[in-house]
Amino acid sequence: MNCEWVRQNVTLYLYGELADDAQHELEQHVARCQTCAAELAEQREFQEQMSALPVEEPTASFLAASRMRLQEALEHEHPQRAWYQRLAFDPTAWLRQVRFSPALAMVIFMVGFGGGLGAMYQSMRHNPGTPQPENINWQAIGGVTAIEKDPATNEVKVQYDRVAPGTVQGRVSDPKVQDLLLYAAKSNENSGVRLSSVDALAEKTDDPRVRETLTYALRYDSNPGVRLHSLEGLAAYVKDDIRVRNAVLESLLNDSNLGVRSGALHALEPVKADSSVRMALEQLAKDDPSDYMRGESKRLLAAMPTVY
Amino acid sequence: MAAEAIAIALTVSPGIAVAGVPGAEQAPTVIPSHERGAAEQTQRRMNDAELIREAQRGNQAAFEELVRQYDGPVLRLAYHMTRSEQDAQDIYQEAFLKAYRNIGSFRFECSFYTWIYRIVTNLCLDHLRKRQVRKEDSGVVTDSDGETFDMLDQVADVRPGASPEKDLMRRELGSRIAKVLEKLTPRERMVFEMKHYQGLKLRTIGEILNTTEETAKNTLFRGTQKLRAALRGVR
Repeated sequence: MNCEWVRQNVTLYLYGELADDAQHELEQHVARCQTCAAELAEQREFQEQMSALPVEEPTASFLAASRMRLQEALEHEHPQRAWYQRLAFDPTAWLRQVRFSPALAMVIFMVGFGGGLGAMYQSMRHNPGTPQPENINWQAIGGVTAIEKDPATNEVKVQYDRVAPGTVQGRVSDPKVQDLLLYAAKSNENSGVRLSSVDALAEKTDDPRVRETLTYALRYDSNPGVRLHSLEGLAAYVKDDIRVRNAVLESLLNDSNLGVRSGALHALEPVKADSSVRMALEQLAKDDPSDYMRGESKRLLAAMPTVY
Repeated sequence: MAAEAIAIALTVSPGIAVAGVPGAEQAPTVIPSHERGAAEQTQRRMNDAELIREAQRGNQAAFEELVRQYDGPVLRLAYHMTRSEQDAQDIYQEAFLKAYRNIGSFRFECSFYTWIYRIVTNLCLDHLRKRQVRKEDSGVVTDSDGETFDMLDQVADVRPGASPEKDLMRRELGSRIAKVLEKLTPRERMVFEMKHYQGLKLRTIGEILNTTEETAKNTLFRGTQKLRAALRGVR
């Protein structure tokens, strides 16, 4: 090891990037070479100086604003799909192509005509009496169109679209009904259907899958009503399920709707002594823009036993 | 089928469970403390792989979870590089949109961490190159009276124990450093940023920049020498 090697490697040494043996040798060399000791001191001073330009963690609001902007953009995006997926799921793209391809139009017409005949034949064979839960072909489902609950029998009727619309009826505990409800809660375009689905699922929150779906709706559903109903379904689990508690905490701090936030505040009351909840309450009591949220947070904090 | 609406909520604490990704949670196991670091890394890698596969199958909740895991450091890097909230947010946005559009072509040849950093660093490099062409000094802006001032000078130090004198000195030095950093080539700036400010390993930096660890070391050495000379010049 010579002085030139030390000069080349002193940066790596200070950044902890030298191998253990090289690090040892460098230290030995610097202990007996004044020039290299000075070089090390200068490099150390340089690194300290450079740290005067601080690296700041993005503030919560900056991160939240960036995420919201990204969210908007993602809503208009579709991932690159394989051709067969486009064929199955993106009829509008096909129709655009048809304008430029008469031969393709003919093929679609023939497939459509044949498919229509097939569907008609199937529906004629199928007895449309009381629909029973059937094996669901998930690939063929176009969306859940309606959910109705019969208070007398406590059964739920889930209507969904396939090539032809289908209906499934049974209790929420029926796995096939439940699967459809879980599906509808997450992926339906119609917020009314999502709301009914979340309501029906609220009676089965002892099932972790149901809690996961309601947590998802609470975090991500664009409709505040759906979020509020999910919150109501989850409230009983803020104590026992940490994921539920975290999701409710997120809503408390970040939901755009005051009703949902105030619902979250009250749902968290049984676990207000939890350190994460207390920190959130302190933050809200200090600087929440809403008078109501500030006041309620202060009230909950005041009612809390002092920890010595 | 219509796409699910994606909403990204702010993470309150680390370790929040994955929502909407079946099988993304693992049963808790007791791991001895000395093995925990490696075990957590492996666990993270496994979770990432599952999330990526789900995202590749079109599960947007899984992609969203990936965003939540990585977007803090991405935004911090972009903000420190550009020193502008607007530019940082543009880079953040572009990076995750690119990741979303190209997740299907992710082949697990590197970690998602490396992959997303590669996208971000390329965008930062483009930004630096454009800025060099415009010869724009991002720190200096002109106010409505035509007076120029350095934006960094406006940032007050709120750390405990900071005195106004120390704060002033710190701001002056910070402003000088920002100017000195402009002397580096975009690539030197990027390597210095990732090593000095973001604390990444040179091996990772090499991987992110599609080069070797040795080249990253050389670039860091060159950049450091330039900066030391430039700082001596402004003392």
